[in-house]
Parts: sequence; C-alpha cells; structure tokens
Amino acid sequence: MTRTQDHPAVLAAALGVAILLTLLPLPGWLEPLRPYWVALVLIYWSMEVPDPVKLGTAFLIGLLLDLLTASLMGLHAFSLVVLVYLARRFRARMRFFPPWQQAMAVLALLVNDRIILLWAITLLGEPMPTWRYWLAPLVGMALWPWVFLALDHARLARRQLDRR
Amino acid sequence: MPIDSAAVTANPGQGRPSVTALMVYLLLAGLLMLLDQRGQFIPRFRAFAEGLVTPVYRVAEAPVEAVRGIRRYGRSWDSLVAQTREQREQLMAQSGQMQRLAALEEENRRLRALLDATAGRDIEFRFAELVQVSLDPYSHQVLIDRGVDDGVFEGQAVIDGQGVMGQVEGVTGGQSRVRLISDPDHALPVQILRTGQRTVAMGTGDVGRLSLPNLPEQSDVREGDVLVTSGLGERFPAGFPVAEVSRVVRDTGEAFMDVDARPLAALDRGREVLLVMSVPAPPDVRDMPATEIPDEALADAVDEAGTGNDASSGDATAAEAAEGPVLDDPAAEPAESSEQPADPPNDVAPVEGGETP
Repeated sequence: MTRTQDHPAVLAAALGVAILLTLLPLPGWLEPLRPYWVALVLIYWSMEVPDPVKLGTAFLIGLLLDLLTASLMGLHAFSLVVLVYLARRFRARMRFFPPWQQAMAVLALLVNDRIILLWAITLLGEPMPTWRYWLAPLVGMALWPWVFLALDHARLARRQLDRR
Repeated sequence: MPIDSAAVTANPGQGRPSVTALMVYLLLAGLLMLLDQRGQFIPRFRAFAEGLVTPVYRVAEAPVEAVRGIRRYGRSWDSLVAQTREQREQLMAQSGQMQRLAALEEENRRLRALLDATAGRDIEFRFAELVQVSLDPYSHQVLIDRGVDDGVFEGQAVIDGQGVMGQVEGVTGGQSRVRLISDPDHALPVQILRTGQRTVAMGTGDVGRLSLPNLPEQSDVREGDVLVTSGLGERFPAGFPVAEVSRVVRDTGEAFMDVDARPLAALDRGREVLLVMSVPAPPDVRDMPATEIPDEALADAVDEAGTGNDASSGDATAAEAAEGPVLDDPAAEPAESSEQPADPPNDVAPVEGGETP
C-alpha cells in the first residue's frame, strides 16, 4: 500500500506556505479579503488524501497558529478541529461532488468557521465586524480550485520522487 | 476516478473521526481560551513559546523586506531630491519649535525648583520598527524588532510620533509584542489637557476609537479636547498625547457621559515606534496643595513672569533696562508700570491658595 501513502513532508511544506501567507502583511483594504489559508490546506488534506489529517494534528496546528498570530490561545485550535471533523465527516460525499458543488461545500465550511469566530469575538467584547468580514470565505472558495490543483501536483511530484 | 479505488475504500485512516474525540478537543480548546483570557498560566507559556517561533517571523518578513529593498533601489532621483527638501523644511520648522520648547523647559525647571516640586527626569527613547507580519486583527497587538537584548521590559510604554501606542506585553531575545491601547481590555489613565481632569481611556476594539466611560455628567469636556497620559498607574510617563475627544453625548438621565476619543497614534498603519526607556515619577503641579507653596517663591515666580512680559513689550524697553534693580525690589515695581501683573507677595497668596500665612 505504499502507493497510497503520502509523505508528511508535503503536508508540512504546504502548511508552512499557508502560515507564511497568513502572516504576510497586506494593505489595509486587502486585509479583510485574506483567505483562511491553513483551513484550505487542511480541508484538502481531510478530503483527498488516503490518510487524512487527525483531529489531534489539527489541534496542534491550531495552537501553533494561535501562537504565531498572537490570537487568543485555543481559538484557531477550536476552529480547525471543527473544520477537520466536518470535512472528514462528509469526506465520502464531497470527494465525488462536481467541482462547483465541492467549492460550495468549502464555502459552507469556511462560513461555518466565520460563525464560530464571530461567537468568540463577541465573547471578547469586540465590536461587531462589518460586512467585509464575510468576504474572506468567498475568496477562500474562489481560491479553492487552485489550492486543490497545487496540492495535487505537489503530492504527485513527491510520489514520483519516492518511486525513483 | 473509479469509486472503488483502493485509496478510498481500503484505508483504515479514512474512517469518520469519533464524536468523543471531537468533544474532547473542543473542550480543551475552550478551556485554553478561558485560561488565556482570565489566568496567568497561558500568558507565561506564550512568553516561553514565543522565543521558539521567532525565526518564523524572520522568514515571513523576508519577502516584504525584499520588495521594500527593490522599491528603495528603484526610487527616482527627483523624488529623492523632493523628499530631502521636504524633510529639511520639516526639520527647520521643528528645530524652531524646539528652541521655543527649550526656553519653556528651562523656565519650567526654574519654576519647579522654586516650588520644590519633583524635577521631571529626562526621558530617554529608543527607536524600534514594527516587524512586518500580520497578526490576528482581533488581537490588537503588534511586534517590534527590539527585545530583552535591547533593554526592553514588560510593561514598557510604546509611543509613535503622534501619541501613545501601547505597552510591551511579551519580550523575547530580539522581539517584543506590544498590546495596543485599542484592546478592549486595555485601560489607560489620562488627563484632559485643557481642564486637568483625570479619567480612564478604555480600548473598544476599534483602532479609531477609545471610550471614556467614567466622566460624570457635569464634567467639562468638549469635542477636540486633547487627552494626555496622567502618569498614574506608573506605566506611562505623564504628558504624552493619547487621543482627541471626538464625540460627547450628554444624557441627563445617566450619571456618566458617553465620550469617545480618537487615538492620535497611527495604531494600524505605523511603522516606526519609540520605546520609553525610563518612567519618571508623575510630576503634577496641579495636585500640590497650594498652602504648601512658599509665598516668597510664588512672588519670585510672578516677578520673573512680569519681567518677561516687560522685555517683550516694545514701548518701555529702554527705560526698564536702565532700571535694572527694580527686579530685586518687588514693592517698587507697581509704581513704575501699573499694567504689570507683578504684585506684592501678600496680595498674590490669597488668590492662589485661599489662605494667608
């Protein structure tokens, strides 16, 4: 079954790039459009990879993200655990959706994540975010096919490297 | 893709995760959030772990630095010349103001000495730049490129060219995390510059708005009033500008006014900051009981002010200059120039202190 095993280095590299994109400073007007990069990578890794990411891994990645972005400790951990759980729960169905439907499913996951974040924001006593707050999931959906292709490509390249 | 491919059906790893595991992790995450907001343990852990992830910031910053380097290289000669001229003009204007300030400071110091007030110590600043990474917009924190190695300490005040930004919360070797005054949990003791009234400016989570929830209904506050640090709380030195009152709503039914202020510092778009290296004791003359001010000293002070006016008024300069000794004899002064505010000491004291010796 070596054929179906994916090297963890591919996931690590993808997450590394996603984290760097998360930390990349953007001009103010672009800031609300920043997609949840790490979530996109983890959705892919829950859906397409034979050995999907575990909840514990998602939790630890979330903690790392909390540490790096100085957000409330546990916030990203919470959101990523929910995300990975849902993606794996509906994995069998999402895998065989046509692309546009799959993109809609990703949008639903990301919007759900925004709702969880909204709940945390209100608990923290922050003011209600504006409508721009809901743009990030749309951008995430638009980027989904490209993330999908890029990660497919990366996995394939890595497997060919292993076979050689 | 065939539906019964080995990748889909035969791998044990693709089973649905158990709801129990989900609940355990969610509880754990929830607990962490609670601890982080309320307790001391998580911030301590964060301070430790931050040192480990600092290299990630260096990598994340690299592309931004590269772009900036290229842009700097590509800047045209004309724009550089224009910029230099602009900066020179700015420098001239500011050094003019500085000269005036130096005179004022000298006068202030003399007055303080006369009043036996605590001398305001000199405040040292250290320049720091923001680390160009984007943190969680809801964290109200920024990273700066100075750490323990540069003498940064926890609780240190951070300002920019316009006003107070925040205070250092976490320090690692070469970087520190600064909590901005816009954080909903941040409270800053301030003073209304015009009236001297003290209050507290609370963050609201909005970088463009602070709120002053503790001003009683009858307080004298107007839109445009400048708030400065009061020096209470001993984190921030007194007298730094913080914000400008942007909205005052008086509701006679309430005990407190609804007052908002706009921070003067560029909280969300600054690039360079100053670290305040030493915090002097709050020097506040307003607070000194007037009865303790020696009459002699007060009279001298008024005298000096009087002579200052004198010199600037053009009509009688020569005459006054000839009568040098008049300074030493306060009683003689009123006879010479009736418009001077210099009065004998016994007349001044009751006005200022309400109590005669």
